[in-house]
Amino acid sequence: MSGTLAQRAARAAGARRRRLVWRGVETALLLATLLIILFPILWMALTAFKRPVDLFDLTVFFTPTLDNFRTIFAHPWNIGATLLNSTIVALTTVVIAIPASTLAAYAFSRFEMRGKGLLFFAILATQFIPAVVVVLPFYLLFRDLGLLDTHVALIIVNLAIVTPFAVWMLKGFLDAVPNESEEAALVDGATRLRVIIDIVVPVIWPGVLVTTVFCFILTWNEFLFALILTRDDAVTLPVGITRFRTERGDLWELIAAAGILISIPMFLLASVIQRHFVGGMTGGAVK
Amino acid sequence: MSSISLQRVTKAWGGFTAVRDLTLDIRQGEFMVLLGPSGCGKTTTMRMIAGLEEPTAGDVLIGGVRVNDLAPRERDIAMVFQSYGLYPHMTVADNIGYPLKLRGVGREERAARVRQAAARVELEPLLARRPRELSGGQRQRVALARAIVRQPTVFLMDEPLSNLDAKLRVSTRAEIKHLQHELGVTTVYVTHDQIEAMTLAHRVAVMAGGEIRQLDTPEVIYDRPADLFVAGFIGSPPMNLVPGAHAGGVFTAPGGLRAVTRVARHAGPALLGIRPEDVTVLPAGQGDLDASIYAVELTGDAVLVTAMVGPARVIARADRAWRAEIGATVALRLDTTRMHLFDAATTKRLQPD
Amino acid sequence: MHDRVLKYVLIIPAALIVVGTTIWPLGVSLITSFRDWRLARSLTPGGFVGAGHYVTAFTDDPDFSNALAVTARVVALDVPLTVLLALGLALLLRRAGVLQSVTRAVLILPFAVSPALVGISFRFMFNAETGVLSWAAGTAIPPLRDVVLLADPVGALVVLVLSDAWRWAPYMTLVILGGLAALPREPEEAARMDGATEFQVLRDVTIPALLPVLAIVAILKTVFALKMFDQVVTLTGGGPGQSTVTLAYLVYSIAFRWYDMGYASAVAWILTAMLVFLAFWYMRLVLRKPGQT
Repeated sequence: MSGTLAQRAARAAGARRRRLVWRGVETALLLATLLIILFPILWMALTAFKRPVDLFDLTVFFTPTLDNFRTIFAHPWNIGATLLNSTIVALTTVVIAIPASTLAAYAFSRFEMRGKGLLFFAILATQFIPAVVVVLPFYLLFRDLGLLDTHVALIIVNLAIVTPFAVWMLKGFLDAVPNESEEAALVDGATRLRVIIDIVVPVIWPGVLVTTVFCFILTWNEFLFALILTRDDAVTLPVGITRFRTERGDLWELIAAAGILISIPMFLLASVIQRHFVGGMTGGAVK
Repeated sequence: MSSISLQRVTKAWGGFTAVRDLTLDIRQGEFMVLLGPSGCGKTTTMRMIAGLEEPTAGDVLIGGVRVNDLAPRERDIAMVFQSYGLYPHMTVADNIGYPLKLRGVGREERAARVRQAAARVELEPLLARRPRELSGGQRQRVALARAIVRQPTVFLMDEPLSNLDAKLRVSTRAEIKHLQHELGVTTVYVTHDQIEAMTLAHRVAVMAGGEIRQLDTPEVIYDRPADLFVAGFIGSPPMNLVPGAHAGGVFTAPGGLRAVTRVARHAGPALLGIRPEDVTVLPAGQGDLDASIYAVELTGDAVLVTAMVGPARVIARADRAWRAEIGATVALRLDTTRMHLFDAATTKRLQPD
Repeated sequence: MHDRVLKYVLIIPAALIVVGTTIWPLGVSLITSFRDWRLARSLTPGGFVGAGHYVTAFTDDPDFSNALAVTARVVALDVPLTVLLALGLALLLRRAGVLQSVTRAVLILPFAVSPALVGISFRFMFNAETGVLSWAAGTAIPPLRDVVLLADPVGALVVLVLSDAWRWAPYMTLVILGGLAALPREPEEAARMDGATEFQVLRDVTIPALLPVLAIVAILKTVFALKMFDQVVTLTGGGPGQSTVTLAYLVYSIAFRWYDMGYASAVAWILTAMLVFLAFWYMRLVLRKPGQT
């Protein structure tokens, strides 16, 4: 910055040109970002509709086919059963975890408790614990109980991941709701349970929905537990797709078709709750 | 010191027009207050002078130079923000010195000028602190010091007192006035508080709906409001506005109100405006009309008497020793030399002949 | 029911789940980590060996030191890459615009893809003869044409990190965008009025104000990088050689290939200790009262 105001104003045209150039650079960077984010997904989608002959042609022009989807649902792949396993495990986990977490989150958000800080820290810290350390004792326990390769085993270990997460996330949503209307209801003569039913639930249900979806996605995509605890009957989709890597080589077109099957429902769910996604992972520290 | 000129400036976002075809000339060294309710376009107008918003149409001139294409940093303007806009991670000294640092002023000269600016607003003992360790009033002074340290040609102040408590607001207001007088820098000051406008301004631009309703000295705006909006916005409590009819130089309203105006040519629905201090309360039967008391409020320095004149309430300012019961009847006398007549359709003030 | 009782009743279900599914297995593996227990020899745990497994890990196990080094490399590459990409992208996306909104809408997609699938699809795209990205890399940078990336120790690690950054950088961008949206605008505008260029505003005002959020992002990413497992299985299988064996993958190998539960538990606990240490710092940042810095 130099010269008088008038001299600066005379040079402003150059500044305007530089701004336009910078806008161009921005647009190029954003387009590149879009390409990088979408390319792996689109490439998988394209591959899913290719015949094995077309597989290694790096072209987007080919004769599309639905054969791959037919193949993965047929014998011997039976991806339908895997899909059912994933659905059962994810749904049951969420159905158990969300009500329990909602009650706990409410207590953490609204009441003072002895040792609350420590308790809450413990719940938070469990999110950081690696899954491998949790799965070792469970593997031994389930082997002794004959529960390996069952839905029950998977649901139990998935609860370990999902529950702390849900408590943390729901507390964030509850903290954002002012306590005043609840206190008004208490003054008006409602019991605490009535308050929860009449005041809290109607206000907080979008947060509960978001948390539910978030936890569903986590469970649906979970890999390590399923890899270790299942073999045939209870295999879920992320482990299921590794089976297309056979001795004859990787059956990429089938992997891609199964990949589309895993991902599309999650894309839909994620888009629905997109706006609230961030608060979940960081527990409302970043709004 | 520079003059500022806005020429037919418009700012619109999509379908919403914040400022509409506004023209305003601010003289060198003038203290100009933009006054209006929230959403009237006053802050947007200031931000266009600052360069923080780009006008949709029209030109902004500073010192006679068109600055539309200049970035804020190139305009040589200092600004005090409503929430002060301090840099939270810098000390007070670094906050004040930042504009100098950006201009390449050497460390020693910078320290000297920072100390000088800090002394002006009595901040010297706090130079090593960070903004979060300061009270609201102290933060306000840091923002002021940062604005004066680089000797800009124009000051912009966006509601600088609105985050202070009432007592501090009064003393800081006087300090700002003193500072501006001493430095003589052209100043644009945005506020919704009419007292700040009246006390600080050389001239006030009263804004509503993105337009200037009246531009004049505080005296004229108070004594001869241009329209109903200005009349109702300035003054506390605001001017009494009684709806009625006007014909042949006489204004009449329900409740027995009858006043001779000096406006001959107008006939039709009109409003009579009179400030509370221009209404005198007298024992029943001794004034222009009788009215019953709706409320009596002691403010400390005066008693505000609200009386029912027909369906309208009229407030009078009485001596602080004055007492009466609600429901009692009193007489009101209106100072005819300080009455205003507004046309009900155009809302404009009707000039006496 | 009185609030005094109710508040404890409300947390019982969640507390039972957490104790049963996390605290109990943590305790069991801690105890196991001090015992000799090779599943191939005995179905019940053997005698206590004290800190023997831990001593072995740090003094006499090339596999462990290798995994430690690999994990450190992953963290050292992955965390700065993800944080810088996310910060840059967030700053690009701050302004309103059609392209900006479209990009913001797709940011969530990579996160919704199962990490196992991310690994497989990167393996496909970087396939030596037929992968579209190895073809693209070879075309763009000719010296890379004859390099089989996934068969090269450095190349495999880089691809592993790229796959992880692809999944996480867009998500972290959302987090930083949230942080940016929460910043007061006035300090930035004040800096502009004070004479700062856009770059100076960024360096002197925006980034310092964003530091707490960046720290959260960096810690979270460090945690995820330390735990990296799924993509290792599906993308590199730990290879070539042991060049991409992370700590989590090493625990898996010790436990379920060599069936040495005692030693696996010890290594798992070393990893846990690092993560709990990070958790502590994370919590201090996140649970801090607003207004403190």
